[in-house]
Amino acid sequence: MSAESSAELAGEPAAWVPPTWDEVVREHADRVYRLAFRLSGNRADAEDLTQETFVRVFKSLAQYAPGTFEGWLHRITTNLFLDMVRRRQRIRFDALPEDAGDRLAGSDPGPEQAYDELHLDPEIQAALDALPPDFRVAVVLCDLEQLSYEEIAATLGIKVGTVRSRIHRGRVLLRQALAHRAPGVRPLEPAVGPALEPELQEALEA
Amino acid sequence: MKPQHLSDEAVAAFADGVLTGHARDRACRHLNECAECRLAVKDQREAAAALRTAPAPALPTNLLDRLRTLPLTTPLPPPPPQAIDPDGNAVLSTFAPMAAFAPAAPAGPANRTRGRTYLTAAVLAGMTGALVVGGVALASDDDASTPAVRPAHHVQSGPVGPPAAPVVQVFHGGAGH
Repeated sequence: MSAESSAELAGEPAAWVPPTWDEVVREHADRVYRLAFRLSGNRADAEDLTQETFVRVFKSLAQYAPGTFEGWLHRITTNLFLDMVRRRQRIRFDALPEDAGDRLAGSDPGPEQAYDELHLDPEIQAALDALPPDFRVAVVLCDLEQLSYEEIAATLGIKVGTVRSRIHRGRVLLRQALAHRAPGVRPLEPAVGPALEPELQEALEA
Repeated sequence: MKPQHLSDEAVAAFADGVLTGHARDRACRHLNECAECRLAVKDQREAAAALRTAPAPALPTNLLDRLRTLPLTTPLPPPPPQAIDPDGNAVLSTFAPMAAFAPAAPAGPANRTRGRTYLTAAVLAGMTGALVVGGVALASDDDASTPAVRPAHHVQSGPVGPPAAPVVQVFHGGAGH
């Protein structure tokens, strides 16, 4: 629906037009699924997380305040993911005292993994999967969702300083994992973020 | 790490270009002299770049379908407390006029051939909508002080294009159009 026609119908100019459910899904499903996939590392969990996120959204639309929809989605998805991780850790410790350590160390690739590996960069996802969940969340929100430190802090309910140190640590681990797994395939993409002074840029690349 | 090196937090912030002013000047001066911290910044930027350039997983279409029809399968919680708008009408919430949904009709001629599917879905949706509306009406009856729910004048069909898919109001009593 165009802004013009909706304004006509409402009989008032430039009124905020709430989206239809279909519009909500079409606009945000990709992003939520991508986030859920990067966090959980597999398709089955990503689908569950995405669906549960939208169920929560649907049920609490009445409490929604316009203007923060994406932040809201990030918060729900991220919290559902962290809940899932904690629940599984509890279950594993309770049910599998003997080999809990082994189980926690390795992520078992499900049948969907094979499919996804055809489409994704498996090195990157494996490196992400190896990160502790708290670091993974911080790095994914920063580098994939491109949230600011402040937005990440608000999403996770932690201090900006904590966000910075988690991102730092997460990237260090990520960089090590990538260097180790594919020594010949170092990330070639040089810089992200704003340009530096030429001499400093040179120094960094030396 | 020696005290004169950049802190981990500063390394990350510098790599992301969010250090400003004094802190940034100090970091630049230090980086010009310290290979260790330069490497640390470089690692941060490379790790970030590796993530940003990785292909994004695509949303499975069956999941998209499930999400779009989610209002048909998800029971709504009890209606939230009502607010009164300037005209004295009850407004269910900030999002009250929303909640309309319909499978979007794609623009173009293909639309016609698929009309029946959409209509069926819309009828089903209508039934769900009616149930919900009934619930709202009951709640209103119980509370005599609660004014009628404001009709959603401006929630109409989805994308422009013939024929427009019927739209169902989920939260709304009243004839919207």
